[in-house]
Amino acid sequence: MKQGFKLALAAAALATGVVAAPQTANAQEIQITGPLAGAPAVRKLRLYREGRAELAVGGGFTLLDEYQRTPFISGRLQYNIFDWLGVGVFGGFSPASLPTDLTEKIDSTAPRNSRTAVNLPGTGGPKFEEQTGKMGWMATPQVTFSPFRGKLALFQKLFVDTDLYVHGGVAFVGVKERGDCGGAGGQPACNTAAGFKTADRVAVAPSFGLGLTLYPSNFVSINFEYRAFPFSYNRGGFDSRGSGPDASFPDNKIDSEDRTFKFNQMMFVGVGFHLPTSPKISE
Amino acid sequence: MWKGFLMKHARRWLLLVAALWLLPQAALAQPKKPAGGNKPPPTAPAAGGDIEIDDPNAPAHEEQPAEPAPTPTEETGAGGGGICEIDPSACPKQGDIKKLADRQVAADVYAVQQIYALRRGRFEINPYWSQSLNDQFVGHPGPGLAVNYYLTNVLAVGVNGTYYQPFNSDADFNFENRRATRLAVPLNEYLGGYAVNFTYVPMYGKFSGFGNFIFHYDGYLVGGVGGLFTRPIAVIDPDNRKFDFEHRIAFNVGFGLRIFLNRWFSVIGEIRDYIYIEQLENTQVAATQAGQQDRNTWFGEKPLTNNVQAQIGISMFLPFSWEYRLPK
Repeated sequence: MKQGFKLALAAAALATGVVAAPQTANAQEIQITGPLAGAPAVRKLRLYREGRAELAVGGGFTLLDEYQRTPFISGRLQYNIFDWLGVGVFGGFSPASLPTDLTEKIDSTAPRNSRTAVNLPGTGGPKFEEQTGKMGWMATPQVTFSPFRGKLALFQKLFVDTDLYVHGGVAFVGVKERGDCGGAGGQPACNTAAGFKTADRVAVAPSFGLGLTLYPSNFVSINFEYRAFPFSYNRGGFDSRGSGPDASFPDNKIDSEDRTFKFNQMMFVGVGFHLPTSPKISE
Repeated sequence: MWKGFLMKHARRWLLLVAALWLLPQAALAQPKKPAGGNKPPPTAPAAGGDIEIDDPNAPAHEEQPAEPAPTPTEETGAGGGGICEIDPSACPKQGDIKKLADRQVAADVYAVQQIYALRRGRFEINPYWSQSLNDQFVGHPGPGLAVNYYLTNVLAVGVNGTYYQPFNSDADFNFENRRATRLAVPLNEYLGGYAVNFTYVPMYGKFSGFGNFIFHYDGYLVGGVGGLFTRPIAVIDPDNRKFDFEHRIAFNVGFGLRIFLNRWFSVIGEIRDYIYIEQLENTQVAATQAGQQDRNTWFGEKPLTNNVQAQIGISMFLPFSWEYRLPK
């Protein structure tokens, strides 16, 4: 009896739930009528990019450096097919690298003995900073996608048109790093002066990032850009891999095994000049 | 007889002409009926005056508009009933509306008519994730929480705290550098940090995304003072040395960008530099066992340290809604 009552109660609850369940949900589409019907989100938009070429010049510097900081004199040449899409080349060169505090400490205080002979030049030899990996130049063919256009108010008095963009491409980077030594084929021994010489090569890496452009005038813009271009190179000029499990122990040779991955990053600040000097204006 | 009639009612005719002449020249738009209660509808700003959102001492606008227009109902016809039904020629056609919409007008438009998300008098709750930007030896990521109260639309006072302890990460680079050069770099880890801050919002803007939708953002500067609990990681003489977390006074400055997804919810990106005096491990080890175990020999340099952090998070404003003091 009690069981039957419970079943009846459950059935009643279920029936109530089914009956009381909301009917089909209805949403009302907002029908805009009048002059705003079908109107674009923005009228009379200054198309700073579309159909214009841009030459930007400025400076860049790398972030989170271990042994060398690399300032770049950089530039970008770009043609914007549409206001939201451009193609171009970003590039630059580094007139000089700046050693970090760690590099100077290694040079001045690290012991020179048989344990470090492969990795550090002996007393009276070249300075440690000369063997560290450096970036000399970079050239990056890239595509720029600018989905966001807007304006910025400063102190509610100054108003500047802006856009936010992302970029992606392939970076070709001129790298100077410690040359191969200790291997077969007439390579110098790594603990000799000749074994600490550097060699040049071109590293190829993906390049991507984002940036903000401010347009104080039709012709000139100011640009802040972040760029990542990760690749492997031997930053310290050390023998750190090549033998043992997973080749993660030193093998008394310097070669491509000793290159380790680095998520290279840089900031770029530049001034852009646009041609033609006046932008088109949308309807 | 006609002349006599005019002469007889001359005084009334003069009054009628005067009344017509005194009719208001400019057309006045009718404000919307208030949503509830008998609150008067918002008033228009004075012509040529700036909209000052934050001025609490500004005199309230006394003038009341004329009788609020009735809300269109089914009786009156929402789609242009009334005069349109009596005389359709008096109503603009769709073609006329387009022509009118395209005409050039010299409108008096404010550059920032109404700030999308007012901050004055609201609390901001901002959970975030923090990541080291300038420490290539030890990463100091961690979750954090900031709470701000906006005294004005551009100035806030608040606190924030970050918890680092389980997330400190000693980079592989340290091990490889030690192995190659036999030189150890003193390393430090953090337990947590806190700060009392002022936030100033000088920048405000909006972006059109793909030409289809608009979102608002602002840029702010932040600065304050607080503390960090840090300690050296024993890498020079780990057999003897063991360090405890100690409090260090830390000043901070930074800037951030806040993108509003609606009027109370936003996404935040911030760069903050926590500046403090760090205590490093001594790179020299005492020659004797007693010296090595003497705590006074464990501590080395005290450099001024910049802990630059990128903070990414969300922010919620409370209360969720507000009323504009001035109309759009």
